[in-house]
Amino acid sequence: MSDATLNARFDRIRALEEAGKLRARTGSRALRKLTNNRLAVLGLVLFAIILLASIFAPLLTAHDPLKIDLRGRLDPPSWEHWFGTDMTGRDVFARVLYGGRISILVGLGSALVAALIGVGIGTYTGYRGGWLDVVALRVSEIFMSFPQIILVLLLVSIVGQSLVNLIVIFVITGWGPMYRLTRARMLSLREEEYVQALQAFGVSTFKICYKHMLPNALGPIMVNITLTTAMFILAEAGLSFLGLGVPLNIPTWGNILNAAQDLRVLQNYWWIWLPVGAVISLFVLSVNFIGDGLRDSTDPTQQG
Amino acid sequence: MLTYIIRRILALIPMLLVISFLVYLGLELTPGDAVSYMIPPDVAGNLSAEDLNALREQLGLNKSFLERYGIWLFNVLQGNFGHSLEGGVPIKDIFLDRLPATLELSAVAIFFSTVFGCVLGTIGALKRGSATDSGLTVAGMLGVSIPEFFFGLVALSYFSLHLEWLPVGGRLLPGHDSYWDRIPHLVLPGLVLSLMMTAGVMRYSRAAMLDALGREYIRTARAKGLPEWRVNLMHGLRTALTPVIVLIGFRLPTLIGGSVIIEQIFQWPGVGNEFIAAVRGQDYPLVMMIALFSVLAMLLASLIIDILTALIDPRVRLE
Repeated sequence: MSDATLNARFDRIRALEEAGKLRARTGSRALRKLTNNRLAVLGLVLFAIILLASIFAPLLTAHDPLKIDLRGRLDPPSWEHWFGTDMTGRDVFARVLYGGRISILVGLGSALVAALIGVGIGTYTGYRGGWLDVVALRVSEIFMSFPQIILVLLLVSIVGQSLVNLIVIFVITGWGPMYRLTRARMLSLREEEYVQALQAFGVSTFKICYKHMLPNALGPIMVNITLTTAMFILAEAGLSFLGLGVPLNIPTWGNILNAAQDLRVLQNYWWIWLPVGAVISLFVLSVNFIGDGLRDSTDPTQQG
Repeated sequence: MLTYIIRRILALIPMLLVISFLVYLGLELTPGDAVSYMIPPDVAGNLSAEDLNALREQLGLNKSFLERYGIWLFNVLQGNFGHSLEGGVPIKDIFLDRLPATLELSAVAIFFSTVFGCVLGTIGALKRGSATDSGLTVAGMLGVSIPEFFFGLVALSYFSLHLEWLPVGGRLLPGHDSYWDRIPHLVLPGLVLSLMMTAGVMRYSRAAMLDALGREYIRTARAKGLPEWRVNLMHGLRTALTPVIVLIGFRLPTLIGGSVIIEQIFQWPGVGNEFIAAVRGQDYPLVMMIALFSVLAMLLASLIIDILTALIDPRVRLE
């Protein structure tokens, strides 16, 4: 940015200030920065729309996502069926809405539980160090040395398919990076003077690490939770598409796409797979926008 | 340097032991008779109960768990990975059969995503804030958000089914074995995988480049009057590439097993495709060996990355 434009900008701000149009800024600085980021706001809006549409699915569609209607098989989109019907005559729009409930639950739920475990362990062992830290580090290394999808599929083949199993498997594969991130933050926070002061006052270990240090590490953790959510939603969709994720009788975004494994469906009945693929992409996009916005607004090295 | 490399290799051994132990534990706990994957099933089928028991004794299957693990590990180290439950094919043969296809696809994806990712990321960083940069940023965001298999499905339905320009899947038709016959089969899976990976590399190299361009030595280089392209490429890009190499290195092993879904969509006869089939058919020996193999690839890649970064970056201390 050249000096001239910078000066012009300052002049404008000063003019506003003199005219008394600038309010005293209230509220969280991070939140303000987030709402100033156009893409992040777009992400939040998209996220809210898709989430609310899934939660209030019964208000938006009168169709039952599981009701089979053999007379109305493979109908193209119409006023009655917005996204048409699938191979067994189920309403695709209703399936996308109800499927969103499960897909978002799996993605967000697994990410939150993985974060709870990873952050919980990382905060304590990162601060305390010692043998507990070594053990946790080695265990996470073992989990993280598997390529993610291989480990997920390996566990699926062992424990079998169910909704709960899938969430457990995602948590098992997802806590490692979260733990490592928290631990790394704690290691650097440990050297801060306020921590030494707390230690000198004789504050208990738990209080120091969970109450005083953890809040200072929350920024990157929040970013990581959003990105992990996006990753798990993609993973669920991929696994269910292969028929190895959530059991096929439960509608999820991936399970709807599963029909597209059939080349005839892919060629002739686009409404079964194209809209739901677009919804998944939009939802993951919105989560990524939020994650990027969060990163920019919580990273203290970024000014503005 | 040499001691550093040797130390890093030695550090891998306990890790491999633990993981191979876990894999063996998985093999023991999953259903299936150990005899059936230690020897070819057609041989096992003709044996009587006594013979089978004698065989168990001979193969050491009646020994303690740790001894059995030792025997298994010894076999694996000699390249005897056991037999797949389905068809009783030696797992080694399956690897030899499937690996070239996967490597071919991975090589294409790694090559194109590295080239395009670095170039586009550098352009984005150099023209920060411009329309080009915003366009690339949004495109990169789309690239990491669209599920790769959905992108694959769209490409497949448009180019293969609608326009009929390219084959629907597979790697080679029977009777066509020249190298040129393979190219059309490779185009779509290669393109889809490359584009999805390009997005990640681009975002990463843009950030790394921005970071490098903000450093003091860039100002120094400008101050001493170097031409702008030299500052950007020789001083900026060179340092920015180190983290990018790390990212690409970590992509390598995940590609070996990780392009499973793309391989599935395009019926590409690679390791990933075989892995899905094994998981579906609950062919545990095969599942476990492919998992073990992918971990090995992952650990080797991280070893190579560490050595490479130590070579490139003089700040890395070799302790």
